[in-house]
Amino acid sequence: MEFRVRAATREDCRDISRMIRELAVYEKMPDGMKISHEELERDGFSQNPFFHCLVAEVPPQHRTKEGYTLVGYALYFYTYSTWEGRSLYMEDFYVMPEFRGKGIGKALISNVARIGKEHQCVRLNFSVLSWNTPAINFYLNKGAQDLTTSDGWHCFRFDREALDKLAEEAVKQ
Amino acid sequence: VKITQRDLEQDGFSKNPFFQAIIAEVPEQHRSKEGHCKVGYALYFFAYSSWKGRSVYMEDLYVMSEYRGKGIGKALMSKIAQLGLAAGCKQLNFAVPNWNKPSVDFSLRQGCWNVTSDLGYHCMRCEGPALESLARGEAKH
Repeated sequence: MEFRVRAATREDCRDISRMIRELAVYEKMPDGMKISHEELERDGFSQNPFFHCLVAEVPPQHRTKEGYTLVGYALYFYTYSTWEGRSLYMEDFYVMPEFRGKGIGKALISNVARIGKEHQCVRLNFSVLSWNTPAINFYLNKGAQDLTTSDGWHCFRFDREALDKLAEEAVKQ
Repeated sequence: VKITQRDLEQDGFSKNPFFQAIIAEVPEQHRSKEGHCKVGYALYFFAYSSWKGRSVYMEDLYVMSEYRGKGIGKALMSKIAQLGLAAGCKQLNFAVPNWNKPSVDFSLRQGCWNVTSDLGYHCMRCEGPALESLARGEAKH
């Protein structure tokens, strides 16, 4: 199937927002997404963006029954490893179910890796749910390592309320 | 550790830095036996959650062993929280190996939760030859 992968534009944010919600449903957390497409526009398309995004687009003749031509995306940002240097984190990676198995996912992730390489990034990090076997296999087939299983790395998080409380205790200098 | 002091200077202190850092410093009279006054640091960068928006990621948090138990680690973490909130962040994320019990306990005491244990997210990484292959688009499907 014909498709292309390109950098997202501000105008794509409604579609990206739609697909973020679809991914949340797939991850069994349908109410997880709390931000609006306007917030994505502000945070991803200003002078100092918090993230970058690639989208996969199909020509009109392959559009979905609802009329969508954006059928996949990869959202990522630059990070840093104090051991290895510049790195990338891929926050989201998704292809609509009816468009899987056609090389679209591979094209998205390869382009993320290529862009990382152009910026001298030496690592691409991301996370995956332990029950998501198709995704885990997809990643392991591409040579990814599971650091949680191999080295016991766990992700910890402060959410808004706990973050507020922690910030209040900052030493006044 | 593969990077050098020069890499840190270039990547953290140029126009578009890849990271930011804060330092914990003690006055001269409390310097370490080697004469160090800088006794701890935290390195962080801004990140993004597609569900919650702007976030901050704490890559490293360290306090020299002889200065632990005095609130320095907590002060560093609190400062990052403050800086993150000032930038509009709604989350602070970091990673700890689950066998590092002192760090896990310290973290949980500050009010965070374990995303890996509670939701089942695994941290994955592609690097070296695998990343090179992926960038060339050669990875087997």
